Amino acid sequence: MQDIVESALLSAKRAGASYADVRIVEQEVEEISTKNGSVDALKRSYTKGFGVRVIFNGAWGFSSSFRMTNDEAEKVAEEAVAIAKASSMTKIEDVSLADIEIFQDDVKQSVKINPFSVSLSKKINLLLEADKLMKIPGVIVRSGSMYFLSEVKTFASSEGSYIKQERIVSGAGISSIATDGREIQIRSYPSSFGGDYQRKGYELVEEYKFLNNAERIAKESVALLKAKPCPSGVMDIVLGGAQLALQVHESAGHPTELDRVLGEEASFAGTSFLTPDKLGKFRYGSDIVNITADATIPEALGGFAYDDEGVKAKRIYLVKNGLFVGYLNSRETAKKLKLEPMGAMRAQSWNFMPIIRMTSINLEPGDKTLDELIAGVDHGIYMDTNKSWSIDQNRLNFQFGTEIGWEIKNGKIQDMVKNPTYTGITYEFWRSCDAIANKDFWHVWGVPNCGKGEPMQTMQVSHGVAPARFRNVKVGVLK
Amino acid sequence: MIGKEKALEILKKALSYSQADQTEAVLLGERSYLTGFANNYIHRNVGSEDYQFNVRVAFGKKIGAASSNIADEESIQKVIKDAETIAKFQKDNPDFVSFAKPEEAKFDSKLGYAESTAECDAEKRAIIAKKIIDRSKKFGFNASGTVETATQEFAVMNSLGVERYAVRTVASVKGVIMGDTSSGYSKESNIDIDKIDVEKVAEESVSIADKGRNPEPIEPGKYEVILTPYAVAEFISHMLYLSLNARALKEGSSFLINNFGKKLLGDNITMFDDGFSKLTIPMPFDFEGVPKKKVVFFENGIAKEVVYDTLTAYREGKESTGHSLPQPSPYSPYPMNFIMQGGAGNVDDMISHVKHGLFVQRFWYTNVMDPRKLVITGMTRDGLFLIENGKITRPLQNMRFTESIITALNNVSEISKSVKVVYDMAPVSVPYLRINNFTFTGKTEF
Repeated sequence: MQDIVESALLSAKRAGASYADVRIVEQEVEEISTKNGSVDALKRSYTKGFGVRVIFNGAWGFSSSFRMTNDEAEKVAEEAVAIAKASSMTKIEDVSLADIEIFQDDVKQSVKINPFSVSLSKKINLLLEADKLMKIPGVIVRSGSMYFLSEVKTFASSEGSYIKQERIVSGAGISSIATDGREIQIRSYPSSFGGDYQRKGYELVEEYKFLNNAERIAKESVALLKAKPCPSGVMDIVLGGAQLALQVHESAGHPTELDRVLGEEASFAGTSFLTPDKLGKFRYGSDIVNITADATIPEALGGFAYDDEGVKAKRIYLVKNGLFVGYLNSRETAKKLKLEPMGAMRAQSWNFMPIIRMTSINLEPGDKTLDELIAGVDHGIYMDTNKSWSIDQNRLNFQFGTEIGWEIKNGKIQDMVKNPTYTGITYEFWRSCDAIANKDFWHVWGVPNCGKGEPMQTMQVSHGVAPARFRNVKVGVLK
Repeated sequence: MIGKEKALEILKKALSYSQADQTEAVLLGERSYLTGFANNYIHRNVGSEDYQFNVRVAFGKKIGAASSNIADEESIQKVIKDAETIAKFQKDNPDFVSFAKPEEAKFDSKLGYAESTAECDAEKRAIIAKKIIDRSKKFGFNASGTVETATQEFAVMNSLGVERYAVRTVASVKGVIMGDTSSGYSKESNIDIDKIDVEKVAEESVSIADKGRNPEPIEPGKYEVILTPYAVAEFISHMLYLSLNARALKEGSSFLINNFGKKLLGDNITMFDDGFSKLTIPMPFDFEGVPKKKVVFFENGIAKEVVYDTLTAYREGKESTGHSLPQPSPYSPYPMNFIMQGGAGNVDDMISHVKHGLFVQRFWYTNVMDPRKLVITGMTRDGLFLIENGKITRPLQNMRFTESIITALNNVSEISKSVKVVYDMAPVSVPYLRINNFTFTGKTEF
């Protein structure tokens, strides 16, 4: 391992690079999915390789390979420099990196139950038992899934960083799709799109008590078929945590990515309304809205010890008392705005160049209970569990659909409603937030599939949220 | 890249180590490069070469799968052993009949290959990027975009006698031009990078941004629209996984259930999948080694058929149409060479026929609101214009649409003759469409 690092860094230096770093990543994944009483897919996959990032003549170059030899390391570093040389043909100014503290570290992750030590039959049996409990009339697709990752990543730079980090991730979820021949309805547990994910061992699967929840979600999916449609109009809403996590993701996480803000993602993901002139001045939300980026939360999916530039994990405010105050940044973008690097650069694997990614982006808890949130609504909807999402490329106009909703009348939960949707403009929405549930309701949800960048990279991020209430929101786009 | 001989040798070796009743080995390789630019300079420039060596084994109806990106002797043995171990812990999959059965098929293994793309270097990509940047600068804009090349190898072998190899190339050039109040978009994809008209990409993206300066707000509502192929592809792609495959039929999301032979879309709508068509980035076989068959989804609006892989086909006593994704996959089968048949119009004439409507350059961030009714929401992006009395008259601020694909494809009044390949993970080849009563439900601030 050390040989490859040294060969790549030396070769880059010899070829004239002013800066170089190497990441060696080894990932093992186990994925199990069941559908309608049988195992749909069961797969183990393994990947290993290294990527070399260089600055040559003031421009970036990156190359990578799966061939783990010293000769290949030298060749890849040379190719990265050749690529950087081509990049410099359009250079406007030299790439410059903010200074950081240099670390040598070896970070282990301890889990209660190593998920790779749990037998496949135990995992399969649990999913199939849950499947059996969801088998009720009206349900057409019963599915369950588990995901386990073991990752070892070594980062070394020409500045002297040498950091080895271990990560273990577990994720699991179940869902039930019901139909009456005319429409389909879905319910998931504990969240949609694969459930919840955390940096934990198999204990995560045990904590979620799938067998206590399988029948309930199956019944809810069938009940939704006969539920009344979500009413349309402007009204108050209370969002459950599983939905609010995605609201934070799309309308707070992405618009505070400084590469987007500076136009570097304009070609694909888009830009952001949170331009630098608004930093420290713009009222993003109401006074009670506090949003942090915190990579230090133990077990959070978006957490780590060091990012892929060797920056130590931090907790910073993005929004404080409703005011927009911070960005997710890289060494390069931090330098451009004279900010402190906060450690948000990550790559999907060895064959991708790091870009700015969310860490754990959290809506800090408030002081209410969920009952108090609901008690304060005369007429509105309580919605939970994301079903669909869409937002414009500046992160202003959004529209979300959730799996389930309940009408709230005179401060009390009433009938279930189907196809709930709500839409709005980001800052108007967050300014209408007048109550957030307290820390007893706060949970860090893992989002394993955040897509960004070109080439497209999928990243594991997370969001700590408690249910919150929003006033005068446009509800029910679907007729 | 590995090449045919070596790839097949690896797969043959894998089969020889397996104790299973049936074994399938697949080697997928890609050498890819991407030169990305933003703010008028190259800010991201990357290269990668990687392989996926996938194995599936079957003991009776118990299937196990394993994969690695390394295919040396030790890894091959480990992947086979892992797959066998997994299979032994498995429950029977009652739907499983067999991996792909061999069938005769003759094709050129370099059907979709161009040397110029495979050999394109960083300097050539930078020169292409610079052409778009230079054009953008002349108009005072900031150019973003990408120049991408990929060489992809596909090799499939199974213990029943299937043996396939193909290599193909894909090149794409994209311009996203950013102004203070507007943006413009263009993208071309081809197997041969030398056949991409870079000037055209620069011209289209810059001219849309130029015409789009100082857009005015417009109220949501129903409008007649002209959708470019970019917008059409983004909108109707959801139909491919939600409706046009055998899995969607079984899982209840497809609106074709119990509707084959019925007229579900407008008379003028014909859609099919054809891996060998000149209108697509070709692919001679799928990831199970089954040769691609032409599958007609709709002919003059009448629902005809959907795509199958071996699992979904054999359980119904049918033949696979050659549309398996790399297995195991929850999204397989999938139309990988979707084509919507062109009509007789050209875009200028189509615009001239609109009295009051909108020209949509592109949709963005679309998502499904109702899978069975195919209700999709999303935003316009990179060019929205008002059409009055047959002419584009002024730029508009972006809007959100919420519309059913089924409804929209019953309201198509005109289709362009030209069909464009829109490549994003897989090629979708579609024309310009003129559609009546397209529903916009919200607006934004730019």
